[in-house]
Amino acid sequence: MAGNEKRRLPPASEPGRLAASSNGAPEAEAAFLLQAGVSDMVRGALLKLLEARPEEPVEFLAGYFERLMQSGAEGRADGGDPPRPLHWRLDRALWYLRLAHHSHSRTAFSNNVSMAYDSLSACGRRKKPGVNGKLYSELLKMLFRDRGAAEEIVAPLLQKITCRDHEAVPFDVFRYGVLTCLVLLEFLAKASALYEALDSGSGVADQRVCLAVLSTLEEVLRTSGVSSPIRYLEAGSKLGPDYLALAMDRALADRKPSVAMKKEEFLKKASAIFVAKVKPIG
Amino acid sequence: MPGMGTMALEPSPCTIKSPVMLQVGDMRTELGRPGVAVIDVILPHSQTIDLQEIVFKNYYTAFLSLRVLRQSSTGGGDESPSKWVTCLRNYCLMPHPHTEEGSQDYFSVSRHQMLCDMDRVAAIRLILRQPSPVWLHFSIEELQLFPGNQKSPQKGFPAWLSCPSQERPASLHDGLPDADKVSSEVQQMWVLTEMLQASQPAAEIGRFDVDGCYDLNLLSYT
Repeated sequence: MAGNEKRRLPPASEPGRLAASSNGAPEAEAAFLLQAGVSDMVRGALLKLLEARPEEPVEFLAGYFERLMQSGAEGRADGGDPPRPLHWRLDRALWYLRLAHHSHSRTAFSNNVSMAYDSLSACGRRKKPGVNGKLYSELLKMLFRDRGAAEEIVAPLLQKITCRDHEAVPFDVFRYGVLTCLVLLEFLAKASALYEALDSGSGVADQRVCLAVLSTLEEVLRTSGVSSPIRYLEAGSKLGPDYLALAMDRALADRKPSVAMKKEEFLKKASAIFVAKVKPIG
Repeated sequence: MPGMGTMALEPSPCTIKSPVMLQVGDMRTELGRPGVAVIDVILPHSQTIDLQEIVFKNYYTAFLSLRVLRQSSTGGGDESPSKWVTCLRNYCLMPHPHTEEGSQDYFSVSRHQMLCDMDRVAAIRLILRQPSPVWLHFSIEELQLFPGNQKSPQKGFPAWLSCPSQERPASLHDGLPDADKVSSEVQQMWVLTEMLQASQPAAEIGRFDVDGCYDLNLLSYT
Protein backbone atom coordinates (compact mmCIF):
# COMPACT_ATOMS: atom_id res chain seq x y z
CA MET A 1 0.00 0.00 0.00
CA ALA A 2 2.82 2.36 0.83
CA GLY A 3 4.22 1.76 -2.62
CA ASN A 4 0.91 2.58 -4.16
CA GLU A 5 0.67 5.88 -2.36
CA LYS A 6 4.07 6.89 -3.55
CA ARG A 7 3.28 6.06 -7.11
CA ARG A 8 0.24 8.23 -7.07
CA LEU A 9 2.03 11.36 -5.87
CA PRO A 10 3.16 13.70 -8.63
CA PRO A 11 6.76 12.95 -9.44
CA ALA A 12 8.12 16.36 -8.51
CA SER A 13 11.65 15.09 -8.19
CA GLU A 14 12.24 14.55 -11.87
CA PRO A 15 13.56 17.84 -13.20
CA GLY A 16 15.91 16.11 -15.64
CA ARG A 17 13.14 14.53 -17.60
CA LEU A 18 11.09 17.67 -17.65
CA ALA A 19 13.91 19.79 -19.02
CA ALA A 20 14.74 17.30 -21.73
CA SER A 21 11.24 17.25 -23.11
CA SER A 22 10.44 20.95 -23.25
CA ASN A 23 11.29 21.52 -26.89
CA GLY A 24 8.33 19.96 -28.75
CA ALA A 25 4.60 19.86 -28.38
CA PRO A 26 4.16 16.03 -28.22
CA GLU A 27 6.97 15.77 -25.74
CA ALA A 28 5.49 18.54 -23.66
CA GLU A 29 2.28 16.58 -23.50
CA ALA A 30 4.14 13.50 -22.47
CA ALA A 31 5.91 15.53 -19.84
CA PHE A 32 2.67 16.84 -18.55
CA LEU A 33 1.22 13.37 -18.24
CA LEU A 34 4.34 12.28 -16.46
CA GLN A 35 4.25 15.22 -14.15
CA ALA A 36 0.64 14.73 -13.28
CA GLY A 37 1.33 11.09 -12.51
CA VAL A 38 -1.04 9.89 -15.20
CA SER A 39 1.45 7.54 -16.83
CA ASP A 40 2.07 5.76 -13.59
CA MET A 41 -1.58 5.63 -12.79
CA VAL A 42 -2.44 4.14 -16.15
CA ARG A 43 0.41 1.72 -15.90
CA GLY A 44 -0.81 0.57 -12.53
CA ALA A 45 -4.33 0.20 -13.82
CA LEU A 46 -3.25 -1.79 -16.86
CA LEU A 47 -1.13 -3.99 -14.66
CA LYS A 48 -4.11 -4.81 -12.50
CA LEU A 49 -6.19 -5.35 -15.61
CA LEU A 50 -3.66 -7.78 -16.99
CA GLU A 51 -3.48 -9.59 -13.70
CA ALA A 52 -7.17 -9.96 -13.28
CA ARG A 53 -8.25 -10.37 -16.92
CA PRO A 54 -11.88 -9.62 -16.13
CA GLU A 55 -14.64 -10.36 -18.55
CA GLU A 56 -15.60 -6.70 -18.77
CA PRO A 57 -12.31 -4.85 -19.00
CA VAL A 58 -13.77 -1.40 -19.51
CA GLU A 59 -16.03 -1.73 -16.53
CA PHE A 60 -13.13 -3.00 -14.49
CA LEU A 61 -11.02 0.00 -15.44
CA ALA A 62 -13.82 2.41 -14.66
CA GLY A 63 -14.26 0.90 -11.24
CA TYR A 64 -10.56 0.96 -10.67
CA PHE A 65 -10.19 4.65 -11.49
CA GLU A 66 -13.21 5.56 -9.48
CA ARG A 67 -11.78 3.82 -6.47
CA LEU A 68 -8.43 5.46 -7.04
CA MET A 69 -10.05 8.86 -7.09
CA GLN A 70 -11.88 8.26 -3.84
CA SER A 71 -8.88 6.98 -1.98
CA GLY A 72 -6.66 9.59 -3.57
CA ALA A 73 -8.84 12.42 -2.33
CA GLU A 74 -8.88 11.05 1.18
CA GLY A 75 -5.27 10.07 1.18
CA ARG A 76 -3.88 13.35 0.01
CA ALA A 77 -5.93 15.51 2.32
CA ASP A 78 -3.31 15.47 5.03
CA GLY A 79 -0.28 13.78 3.58
CA GLY A 80 1.62 11.12 5.49
CA ASP A 81 -0.18 8.02 6.65
CA PRO A 82 -2.97 9.02 8.95
CA PRO A 83 -4.95 6.43 10.85
CA ARG A 84 -7.72 5.61 8.46
CA PRO A 85 -11.25 5.06 9.60
CA LEU A 86 -12.16 1.45 10.02
CA HIS A 87 -14.80 1.35 7.31
CA TRP A 88 -12.36 2.83 4.85
CA ARG A 89 -9.85 0.08 5.51
CA LEU A 90 -12.49 -2.61 5.25
CA ASP A 91 -13.78 -1.14 2.05
CA ARG A 92 -10.39 -1.04 0.57
CA ALA A 93 -9.57 -4.60 1.57
CA LEU A 94 -12.79 -5.77 0.00
CA TRP A 95 -11.96 -3.94 -3.15
CA TYR A 96 -8.61 -5.67 -3.40
CA LEU A 97 -10.21 -9.04 -2.90
CA ARG A 98 -12.62 -8.42 -5.71
CA LEU A 99 -9.99 -7.34 -8.18
CA ALA A 100 -8.90 -10.77 -9.33
CA HIS A 101 -10.68 -14.08 -9.42
CA HIS A 102 -9.22 -16.69 -7.11
CA SER A 103 -8.82 -19.45 -9.64
CA HIS A 104 -8.32 -17.57 -12.89
CA SER A 105 -5.08 -16.00 -11.82
CA ARG A 106 -3.51 -17.44 -8.74
CA THR A 107 -0.67 -14.96 -8.40
CA ALA A 108 -2.84 -11.94 -8.87
CA PHE A 109 -5.23 -13.22 -6.25
CA SER A 110 -2.42 -13.92 -3.81
CA ASN A 111 -1.07 -10.45 -4.39
CA ASN A 112 -4.40 -8.90 -3.77
CA VAL A 113 -5.03 -10.90 -0.64
CA SER A 114 -1.79 -9.69 0.79
CA MET A 115 -2.63 -6.14 -0.23
CA ALA A 116 -5.96 -6.49 1.51
CA TYR A 117 -4.27 -7.85 4.59
CA ASP A 118 -1.81 -5.00 4.61
CA SER A 119 -4.42 -2.36 4.16
CA LEU A 120 -6.46 -3.86 6.98
CA SER A 121 -3.52 -3.96 9.29
CA ALA A 122 -2.21 -0.51 8.44
CA CYS A 123 -3.13 1.33 11.57
CA GLY A 124 -1.06 4.43 12.09
CA ARG A 125 -1.24 4.72 15.82
CA ARG A 126 0.19 1.38 16.70
CA LYS A 127 3.72 0.40 16.05
CA LYS A 128 3.00 -3.21 15.23
CA PRO A 129 -0.12 -3.30 13.18
CA GLY A 130 -2.02 -6.49 12.54
CA VAL A 131 -5.42 -7.88 11.87
CA ASN A 132 -7.49 -8.97 14.80
CA GLY A 133 -10.33 -11.40 14.82
CA LYS A 134 -12.96 -8.72 14.91
CA LEU A 135 -11.77 -6.98 11.80
CA TYR A 136 -11.35 -10.27 10.01
CA SER A 137 -14.86 -11.47 10.85
CA GLU A 138 -16.25 -8.13 9.79
CA LEU A 139 -14.52 -8.41 6.43
CA LEU A 140 -15.83 -11.90 5.81
CA LYS A 141 -19.33 -10.84 6.72
CA MET A 142 -19.10 -7.92 4.34
CA LEU A 143 -17.89 -10.23 1.64
CA PHE A 144 -21.07 -12.24 1.95
CA ARG A 145 -23.44 -9.36 2.51
CA ASP A 146 -22.14 -7.83 -0.63
CA ARG A 147 -23.24 -10.77 -2.73
CA GLY A 148 -26.51 -11.22 -0.92
CA ALA A 149 -25.77 -14.61 0.55
CA ALA A 150 -28.38 -15.76 3.04
CA GLU A 151 -27.47 -15.49 6.68
CA GLU A 152 -28.40 -19.04 7.54
CA ILE A 153 -26.14 -20.41 4.82
CA VAL A 154 -23.19 -18.32 5.83
CA ALA A 155 -23.40 -18.73 9.57
CA PRO A 156 -22.16 -22.34 9.77
CA LEU A 157 -19.15 -21.50 7.64
CA LEU A 158 -18.29 -18.37 9.58
CA GLN A 159 -18.43 -20.37 12.76
CA LYS A 160 -15.71 -22.58 11.39
CA ILE A 161 -13.34 -20.01 10.00
CA THR A 162 -13.66 -16.84 12.02
CA CYS A 163 -11.45 -16.03 14.94
CA ARG A 164 -12.41 -14.54 18.26
CA ASP A 165 -12.38 -10.79 18.42
CA HIS A 166 -9.20 -10.47 20.42
CA GLU A 167 -7.15 -13.00 18.49
CA ALA A 168 -4.43 -11.97 16.10
CA VAL A 169 -5.05 -13.40 12.67
CA PRO A 170 -1.97 -14.71 10.86
CA PHE A 171 -1.82 -14.07 7.17
CA ASP A 172 -2.20 -17.72 6.31
CA VAL A 173 -5.43 -18.00 8.24
CA PHE A 174 -6.62 -14.77 6.69
CA ARG A 175 -5.91 -16.07 3.22
CA TYR A 176 -7.59 -19.36 3.92
CA GLY A 177 -10.67 -17.68 5.33
CA VAL A 178 -11.03 -15.30 2.44
CA LEU A 179 -10.50 -18.02 -0.11
CA THR A 180 -13.04 -20.26 1.59
CA CYS A 181 -15.63 -17.52 1.53
CA LEU A 182 -15.03 -16.76 -2.12
CA VAL A 183 -15.19 -20.41 -3.07
CA LEU A 184 -18.42 -20.82 -1.14
CA LEU A 185 -19.89 -17.88 -3.00
CA GLU A 186 -18.97 -19.50 -6.26
CA PHE A 187 -20.30 -22.81 -5.05
CA LEU A 188 -23.61 -21.14 -4.27
CA ALA A 189 -23.72 -19.64 -7.73
CA LYS A 190 -23.20 -23.09 -9.22
CA ALA A 191 -25.80 -24.59 -6.92
CA SER A 192 -28.29 -22.00 -8.00
CA ALA A 193 -27.55 -22.78 -11.65
CA LEU A 194 -28.01 -26.43 -10.79
CA TYR A 195 -31.39 -25.69 -9.29
CA GLU A 196 -32.42 -23.98 -12.47
CA ALA A 197 -31.32 -27.02 -14.43
CA LEU A 198 -33.31 -29.24 -12.10
CA ASP A 199 -36.56 -27.33 -12.29
CA SER A 200 -36.44 -27.50 -16.10
CA GLY A 201 -37.87 -24.06 -16.49
CA SER A 202 -40.90 -24.52 -14.29
CA GLY A 203 -39.53 -22.55 -11.37
CA VAL A 204 -39.89 -25.30 -8.78
CA ALA A 205 -37.89 -28.48 -8.64
CA ASP A 206 -39.02 -31.84 -7.41
CA GLN A 207 -37.64 -32.59 -3.99
CA ARG A 208 -36.90 -36.22 -4.79
CA VAL A 209 -34.75 -35.29 -7.74
CA CYS A 210 -32.94 -32.56 -5.84
CA LEU A 211 -32.14 -34.84 -2.97
CA ALA A 212 -30.98 -37.60 -5.30
CA VAL A 213 -28.51 -35.29 -7.01
CA LEU A 214 -27.25 -33.78 -3.78
CA SER A 215 -26.80 -37.13 -2.13
CA THR A 216 -24.80 -38.33 -5.12
CA LEU A 217 -22.51 -35.36 -4.71
CA GLU A 218 -22.22 -35.99 -1.02
CA GLU A 219 -21.46 -39.64 -1.58
CA VAL A 220 -18.65 -38.83 -3.97
CA LEU A 221 -17.16 -36.30 -1.58
CA ARG A 222 -17.42 -38.66 1.33
CA THR A 223 -14.93 -41.07 -0.17
CA SER A 224 -11.79 -40.25 1.63
CA GLY A 225 -8.83 -42.39 2.52
CA VAL A 226 -8.35 -43.55 -1.05
CA SER A 227 -5.69 -42.07 -3.25
CA SER A 228 -6.70 -39.06 -5.30
CA PRO A 229 -6.66 -40.68 -8.74
CA ILE A 230 -9.19 -43.28 -7.64
CA ARG A 231 -11.32 -40.62 -6.03
CA TYR A 232 -11.27 -38.52 -9.17
CA LEU A 233 -12.16 -41.49 -11.34
CA GLU A 234 -15.05 -42.31 -9.10
CA ALA A 235 -16.27 -38.74 -9.17
CA GLY A 236 -16.00 -38.69 -12.94
CA SER A 237 -18.06 -41.81 -13.19
CA LYS A 238 -20.69 -40.99 -10.62
CA LEU A 239 -21.18 -37.38 -11.58
CA GLY A 240 -21.43 -38.18 -15.26
CA PRO A 241 -24.72 -37.61 -17.07
CA ASP A 242 -25.52 -41.32 -17.29
CA TYR A 243 -25.15 -42.09 -13.63
CA LEU A 244 -27.00 -38.96 -12.58
CA ALA A 245 -29.82 -39.65 -15.00
CA LEU A 246 -30.18 -43.09 -13.47
CA ALA A 247 -30.14 -41.68 -9.95
CA MET A 248 -32.78 -39.09 -10.81
CA ASP A 249 -34.89 -41.65 -12.60
CA ARG A 250 -34.76 -43.95 -9.61
CA ALA A 251 -35.79 -41.08 -7.35
CA LEU A 252 -38.80 -40.31 -9.49
CA ALA A 253 -39.79 -43.94 -9.62
CA ASP A 254 -40.12 -43.92 -5.86
CA ARG A 255 -43.65 -44.03 -4.69
CA LYS A 256 -43.35 -40.89 -2.66
CA PRO A 257 -45.53 -37.89 -3.28
CA SER A 258 -44.05 -35.18 -5.45
CA VAL A 259 -43.15 -32.24 -3.26
CA ALA A 260 -41.61 -29.04 -4.50
CA MET A 261 -38.30 -27.96 -3.02
CA LYS A 262 -37.70 -24.28 -2.62
CA LYS A 263 -34.54 -22.78 -3.96
CA GLU A 264 -33.46 -21.45 -0.56
CA GLU A 265 -33.84 -24.88 0.91
CA PHE A 266 -31.85 -26.40 -1.91
CA LEU A 267 -29.05 -23.88 -1.53
CA LYS A 268 -28.96 -24.50 2.18
CA LYS A 269 -28.67 -28.24 1.74
CA ALA A 270 -26.00 -27.85 -0.93
CA SER A 271 -23.95 -25.44 1.12
CA ALA A 272 -24.12 -27.79 4.09
CA ILE A 273 -22.29 -30.37 1.99
CA PHE A 274 -19.62 -27.84 1.20
CA VAL A 275 -19.27 -26.50 4.71
CA ALA A 276 -18.91 -30.00 6.09
CA LYS A 277 -15.72 -30.31 4.08
CA VAL A 278 -14.19 -27.09 5.37
CA LYS A 279 -11.59 -27.68 8.03
CA PRO A 280 -12.04 -25.34 10.98
CA ILE A 281 -9.14 -23.14 11.89
CA GLY A 282 -7.66 -23.40 15.33
CA MET B 1 -6.57 -68.62 -22.94
CA PRO B 2 -4.50 -68.39 -19.74
CA GLY B 3 -2.02 -65.63 -19.96
CA MET B 4 -4.44 -63.40 -21.74
CA GLY B 5 -4.75 -60.13 -20.01
CA THR B 6 -2.23 -61.00 -17.39
CA MET B 7 0.37 -58.70 -18.87
CA ALA B 8 -1.55 -55.74 -17.60
CA LEU B 9 -0.93 -56.97 -14.07
CA GLU B 10 2.05 -56.13 -11.97
CA PRO B 11 4.65 -58.88 -11.70
CA SER B 12 5.22 -60.18 -8.19
CA PRO B 13 8.27 -58.81 -6.48
CA CYS B 14 10.88 -61.53 -6.12
CA THR B 15 14.58 -61.99 -5.56
CA ILE B 16 16.43 -63.58 -8.45
CA LYS B 17 19.76 -65.07 -7.41
CA SER B 18 22.70 -65.14 -9.74
CA PRO B 19 23.09 -68.33 -11.77
CA VAL B 20 25.24 -71.16 -10.45
CA MET B 21 27.10 -73.18 -13.08
CA LEU B 22 27.21 -76.90 -12.44
CA GLN B 23 30.29 -78.74 -13.54
CA VAL B 24 32.09 -81.90 -12.70
CA GLY B 25 35.57 -81.23 -11.41
CA ASP B 26 37.33 -77.95 -10.78
CA MET B 27 35.96 -74.97 -12.65
CA ARG B 28 39.33 -73.37 -13.16
CA THR B 29 41.29 -76.39 -14.34
CA GLU B 30 38.70 -78.25 -16.39
CA LEU B 31 38.63 -77.24 -20.01
CA GLY B 32 35.10 -78.29 -20.79
CA ARG B 33 32.40 -75.69 -20.42
CA PRO B 34 29.54 -76.28 -18.03
CA GLY B 35 26.31 -77.29 -19.69
CA VAL B 36 23.95 -76.71 -16.78
CA ALA B 37 23.11 -73.59 -14.78
CA VAL B 38 20.74 -73.17 -11.87
CA ILE B 39 18.89 -70.00 -10.95
CA ASP B 40 16.95 -69.72 -7.73
CA VAL B 41 14.09 -67.31 -7.31
CA ILE B 42 12.82 -66.49 -3.83
CA LEU B 43 9.76 -64.55 -2.81
CA PRO B 44 10.30 -61.89 -0.19
CA HIS B 45 9.13 -62.26 3.42
CA SER B 46 8.50 -65.97 2.94
CA GLN B 47 5.32 -65.26 1.05
CA THR B 48 3.71 -67.62 -1.36
CA ILE B 49 2.02 -66.84 -4.62
CA ASP B 50 -0.41 -68.59 -6.87
CA LEU B 51 1.66 -68.57 -9.98
CA GLN B 52 -0.15 -67.85 -13.20
CA GLU B 53 2.62 -67.22 -15.66
CA ILE B 54 6.37 -66.90 -16.00
CA VAL B 55 7.79 -64.54 -18.58
CA PHE B 56 11.46 -64.23 -19.52
CA LYS B 57 13.86 -63.52 -22.33
CA ASN B 58 16.10 -66.33 -23.38
CA TYR B 59 19.82 -65.97 -23.76
CA TYR B 60 21.18 -69.07 -25.51
CA THR B 61 19.57 -71.60 -23.22
CA ALA B 62 18.42 -74.70 -25.05
CA PHE B 63 16.24 -76.44 -22.47
CA LEU B 64 14.52 -75.29 -19.34
CA SER B 65 13.34 -77.30 -16.37
CA LEU B 66 11.38 -75.79 -13.56
CA ARG B 67 11.01 -76.92 -9.99
CA VAL B 68 8.88 -75.15 -7.41
CA LEU B 69 8.78 -75.31 -3.65
CA ARG B 70 5.16 -75.68 -2.75
CA GLN B 71 3.56 -75.36 0.62
CA SER B 72 1.14 -78.21 0.98
CA SER B 73 -2.38 -76.97 1.28
CA THR B 74 -3.52 -79.73 3.62
CA GLY B 75 -1.48 -78.82 6.67
CA GLY B 76 -2.43 -75.19 6.95
CA GLY B 77 -0.42 -72.63 8.84
CA ASP B 78 3.25 -71.89 8.53
CA GLU B 79 4.40 -75.22 9.87
CA SER B 80 3.07 -77.26 6.97
CA PRO B 81 5.85 -79.12 5.18
CA SER B 82 7.00 -77.76 1.87
CA LYS B 83 7.94 -79.93 -1.05
CA TRP B 84 9.99 -79.43 -4.19
CA VAL B 85 8.07 -80.49 -7.27
CA THR B 86 9.11 -80.55 -10.89
CA CYS B 87 6.59 -78.64 -12.91
CA LEU B 88 8.40 -78.33 -16.23
CA ARG B 89 10.82 -80.84 -17.67
CA ASN B 90 13.25 -80.02 -20.47
CA TYR B 91 11.06 -77.42 -22.07
CA CYS B 92 12.63 -76.68 -25.42
CA LEU B 93 13.67 -73.07 -26.00
CA MET B 94 16.06 -73.63 -28.90
CA PRO B 95 14.93 -76.36 -31.30
CA HIS B 96 18.45 -76.73 -32.69
CA PRO B 97 20.90 -75.92 -29.92
CA HIS B 98 23.77 -75.29 -32.32
CA THR B 99 21.89 -72.64 -34.27
CA GLU B 100 20.50 -69.28 -33.35
CA GLU B 101 16.82 -70.10 -33.53
CA GLY B 102 15.01 -69.18 -30.32
CA SER B 103 18.22 -68.09 -28.67
CA GLN B 104 17.03 -64.61 -27.73
CA ASP B 105 13.29 -64.97 -27.88
CA TYR B 106 10.77 -64.00 -25.23
CA PHE B 107 8.98 -66.92 -23.64
CA SER B 108 5.93 -67.16 -21.55
CA VAL B 109 5.11 -70.34 -19.68
CA SER B 110 1.72 -70.36 -18.13
CA ARG B 111 -0.08 -72.44 -15.61
CA HIS B 112 -1.70 -74.90 -17.98
CA GLN B 113 1.64 -75.89 -19.46
CA MET B 114 3.00 -76.97 -16.10
CA LEU B 115 3.03 -80.54 -14.92
CA CYS B 116 1.61 -79.76 -11.52
CA ASP B 117 -0.51 -77.33 -9.62
CA MET B 118 1.12 -73.91 -9.15
CA ASP B 119 -0.63 -72.68 -6.02
CA ARG B 120 1.17 -71.58 -2.87
CA VAL B 121 4.59 -71.43 -4.44
CA ALA B 122 7.31 -70.26 -2.08
CA ALA B 123 10.40 -70.58 -4.28
CA ILE B 124 11.30 -71.48 -7.83
CA ARG B 125 14.39 -73.12 -9.24
CA LEU B 126 15.17 -72.80 -12.93
CA ILE B 127 17.50 -75.39 -14.38
CA LEU B 128 18.99 -74.28 -17.67
CA ARG B 129 20.77 -76.66 -20.04
CA GLN B 130 22.83 -75.95 -23.10
CA PRO B 131 24.41 -79.05 -24.59
CA SER B 132 26.05 -77.22 -27.47
CA PRO B 133 29.62 -75.99 -26.84
CA VAL B 134 29.17 -73.30 -29.49
CA TRP B 135 27.90 -70.72 -27.03
CA LEU B 136 30.20 -69.20 -24.45
CA HIS B 137 27.47 -68.21 -21.99
CA PHE B 138 23.85 -69.03 -21.54
CA SER B 139 21.27 -67.67 -19.18
CA ILE B 140 17.81 -66.17 -19.08
CA GLU B 141 16.95 -62.54 -18.55
CA GLU B 142 14.11 -60.25 -17.54
CA LEU B 143 12.42 -62.95 -15.52
CA GLN B 144 8.99 -61.98 -14.22
CA LEU B 145 6.48 -63.95 -12.21
CA PHE B 146 2.82 -63.10 -12.59
CA PRO B 147 0.39 -64.13 -9.90
CA GLY B 148 -3.04 -65.52 -10.61
CA ASN B 149 -5.33 -62.72 -11.67
CA GLN B 150 -8.60 -64.11 -10.43
CA LYS B 151 -8.14 -62.92 -6.89
CA SER B 152 -5.69 -60.40 -5.63
CA PRO B 153 -5.78 -57.19 -7.64
CA GLN B 154 -9.46 -57.23 -8.39
CA LYS B 155 -10.47 -57.71 -4.82
CA GLY B 156 -13.06 -55.16 -3.85
CA PHE B 157 -13.44 -53.48 -7.21
CA PRO B 158 -16.15 -50.87 -6.86
CA ALA B 159 -19.17 -51.30 -9.04
CA TRP B 160 -18.70 -47.99 -10.81
CA LEU B 161 -15.36 -49.18 -12.13
CA SER B 162 -16.07 -52.80 -12.98
CA CYS B 163 -19.05 -51.93 -15.15
CA PRO B 164 -18.20 -48.48 -16.43
CA SER B 165 -20.38 -48.71 -19.48
CA GLN B 166 -23.54 -48.26 -17.50
CA GLU B 167 -25.81 -47.09 -20.26
CA ARG B 168 -28.54 -44.61 -19.73
CA PRO B 169 -31.78 -46.55 -20.06
CA ALA B 170 -33.80 -45.60 -23.07
CA SER B 171 -37.06 -45.18 -21.22
CA LEU B 172 -36.50 -42.55 -18.61
CA HIS B 173 -39.17 -40.93 -16.55
CA ASP B 174 -40.95 -38.07 -18.23
CA GLY B 175 -39.96 -34.62 -17.17
CA LEU B 176 -36.53 -35.63 -16.04
CA PRO B 177 -34.19 -32.64 -15.95
CA ASP B 178 -31.47 -32.39 -18.56
CA ALA B 179 -28.85 -34.79 -17.28
CA ASP B 180 -25.98 -33.19 -19.16
CA LYS B 181 -26.64 -29.81 -17.69
CA VAL B 182 -27.16 -31.20 -14.20
CA SER B 183 -23.98 -33.20 -14.47
CA SER B 184 -21.96 -30.24 -15.60
CA GLU B 185 -23.11 -28.10 -12.67
CA VAL B 186 -22.64 -30.84 -10.09
CA GLN B 187 -19.17 -31.54 -11.40
CA GLN B 188 -18.22 -27.91 -10.99
CA MET B 189 -19.54 -27.95 -7.46
CA TRP B 190 -17.45 -31.02 -6.81
CA VAL B 191 -14.35 -29.35 -8.21
CA LEU B 192 -14.83 -26.34 -5.96
CA THR B 193 -15.17 -28.50 -2.89
CA GLU B 194 -12.16 -30.61 -3.82
CA MET B 195 -10.14 -27.49 -4.46
CA LEU B 196 -10.94 -26.16 -1.06
CA GLN B 197 -10.00 -29.41 0.58
CA ALA B 198 -6.64 -29.21 -1.10
CA SER B 199 -5.83 -25.82 0.39
CA GLN B 200 -5.52 -25.91 4.13
CA PRO B 201 -4.05 -23.19 6.31
CA ALA B 202 -0.49 -23.86 7.34
CA ALA B 203 -0.54 -21.46 10.26
CA GLU B 204 -2.39 -21.97 13.47
CA ILE B 205 -3.82 -19.41 15.78
CA GLY B 206 -2.55 -21.30 18.75
CA ARG B 207 -5.57 -21.76 20.86
CA PHE B 208 -5.08 -23.59 24.09
CA ASP B 209 -8.65 -24.17 25.00
CA VAL B 210 -10.72 -27.15 24.08
CA ASP B 211 -14.34 -26.22 23.40
CA GLY B 212 -14.04 -23.06 25.41
CA CYS B 213 -12.43 -24.71 28.45
CA TYR B 214 -8.81 -24.42 29.39
CA ASP B 215 -6.54 -27.09 30.66
CA LEU B 216 -5.13 -25.84 33.97
CA ASN B 217 -1.77 -27.42 33.31
CA LEU B 218 -1.31 -25.36 30.18
CA LEU B 219 -2.06 -22.16 32.03
CA SER B 220 0.48 -22.70 34.80
CA TYR B 221 3.47 -20.40 35.16
CA THR B 222 6.10 -22.81 33.93
